[in-house]
Amino acid sequence: MASVDPALMGKLAMAPDRGRSLTRRVWAEAFRQPEFKIGLVVFLILFLLACFYPELSSIDPLKMNVRGRLLPPLFLGPNWSFTNPLGTDQLGRDMLLRCLVGLRYSFLIGVSTVIVMLLIGCTIGMVAGYKGGWISTILMRLTDAQLSIPMIILAIAILGVSRPTIPAIVLVLGLAGWPTYARVTRSVVMAESRKEFVRGAKVLGASDIRIMALLLAPLVLPPIVFVSVLDIARMMIFESILGFIGLGVQPPTPTFGNLIADGRKYLLNAWWIATMPGIFLCVTLTSVNLMGAALERARNRIFGGLA
Amino acid sequence: MFVLSFLARRLLQGFVIIFLVMFLIFTLLRVVPGDPVRLMAGGMAPEALIEQIATQMGLRDPILVQFGRYAAHVVQGDFGQSFVRPADGAATGGAAFNDASRSERAEVLTLVAQTAPRTFQLALTAILMALLISLPLGVAGGLYPGRWPDRLALYLGSIFVSLPNFWLGIVLILLLSVKLAWLPAIGYQGFAWTILPAFVLAIEMAPFMIRTLTVSVAQVMQEYFIAAGPVRGLSRSRVVLRHGLKNASVPLLNLLGVQFSMLLGGVLVVEYIFDYPGLGLLTINAVLQRDFPLIQGIAIITSAAFVLINIAVDLLATTIDPRLDY
Repeated sequence: MASVDPALMGKLAMAPDRGRSLTRRVWAEAFRQPEFKIGLVVFLILFLLACFYPELSSIDPLKMNVRGRLLPPLFLGPNWSFTNPLGTDQLGRDMLLRCLVGLRYSFLIGVSTVIVMLLIGCTIGMVAGYKGGWISTILMRLTDAQLSIPMIILAIAILGVSRPTIPAIVLVLGLAGWPTYARVTRSVVMAESRKEFVRGAKVLGASDIRIMALLLAPLVLPPIVFVSVLDIARMMIFESILGFIGLGVQPPTPTFGNLIADGRKYLLNAWWIATMPGIFLCVTLTSVNLMGAALERARNRIFGGLA
Repeated sequence: MFVLSFLARRLLQGFVIIFLVMFLIFTLLRVVPGDPVRLMAGGMAPEALIEQIATQMGLRDPILVQFGRYAAHVVQGDFGQSFVRPADGAATGGAAFNDASRSERAEVLTLVAQTAPRTFQLALTAILMALLISLPLGVAGGLYPGRWPDRLALYLGSIFVSLPNFWLGIVLILLLSVKLAWLPAIGYQGFAWTILPAFVLAIEMAPFMIRTLTVSVAQVMQEYFIAAGPVRGLSRSRVVLRHGLKNASVPLLNLLGVQFSMLLGGVLVVEYIFDYPGLGLLTINAVLQRDFPLIQGIAIITSAAFVLINIAVDLLATTIDPRLDY
């Protein structure tokens, strides 16, 4: 016998408290899952470390120390020390500090990129879904076209020929990533804008912009925003790939990508330079992804078929 | 007849998409700063010479004129010649500015045709490996929602998505290729060289497959026809395999169509790490050398492949599940 669908259970259990805001209920539902809590705790630890450790530490992530170069991480080789828990690189710079500074950039770029993607994608999707007709056709063909060019090719094609600064990276990744949001938004808006309340507002003389911004956006966007948490992690990976190819934020600013690219040259005699930033990035991303996956599940349970 | 009209419509849409891709990539490359002629001629070439070469090549005409000329050639199957790659496949990079051998540049189409089969082999191996990883995990997760197989699928999926492909590639090279010497990694001399890069790609694709499978299997298992299976005297495995998995495979197939562009992105990075001489490595080099015709050609050909694969996916989906509409 097939076991009972948790989504169905969720919906039944949820029926009485229709009054509470859907967004709050998604959070509550996500919080009930252990994955979310684990992800949140790990993420908060890393976040606080990234915020405060570089400020409080007595060493500078860019300061070289030739005598203390290529020190291994704690307990993993000769000459390790507590001042450099993750070891040092070929110029004696502290790996932990460099990873944490890298994390700052990575997260900053990840979040801003997703915001750009949401802004572009949802606006286009909403206009296409609400207006319909030839506007929709044109916008959606454009979306298809962009979906069929691999995002990374687009990003490196643009960044390769221009100068990779942080705003450029955010813009390029954002421009490359919006199509999925446009698609989802359009399909939901199309369903919603046929409903009574939208037609009612139209009869009452509300302008299109007013309907889109005040009636449709609050209804359509929350479920999409919940899923976009997963995209933050995706964008952080893309940022690191760009850094690795040499098209990300330029050294000496440490980012995960250029740290790993650097470490690759010393792989045989100092494995930790390339490995540590990767583990660090992977742990961060896993925490974000666990939260994202839990949020997505919670959203699916509460919003049901919507979006 | 339905199939034919479906094919006609989709192919027409596909042409529109390919045209848009062509236009997008063409304009983007020309709008963004960075002069390919400067790179071709070398940093020391005098300004006047650069202008002369650029004018000769038509790079100073209005973008629309350039695009029209390019599109006319593409329609005839002529993707032009690479800016920098010589035809014999020898050294690449900025040749001297007074190099008289411009006519001997490699044809874009030849370059793509040389590298595409290896990438195809890599991609196919990767998809097979990804299926091997995600089928058991995803199906088990879908059969027991909320229980440990489901949790396992969620955790493993979350870890797999979080592994940066280039880093995983480096670590695997270090462990399996350098330390243990189990598998070759750099370059390409035979099928063994495909295994490691394919595995990295498989890990990148697997989480999405696992998630889709978990969700769709769980959904299918709710259906009445599944509950009716035991009543009809069918064994559990028959119900799961013939009724459950078959129905759940349609979303997976659709995912594969969408994942194509993600796969290509991954191929790019992985081929770069493993120095695997495929389409991805060609693309990265083309971009780093501002080789406009090559970038454009690759973008157009891959988007055509994307369109075709998605049509094939839809056709296949209707064969598996005849209830689907074209």
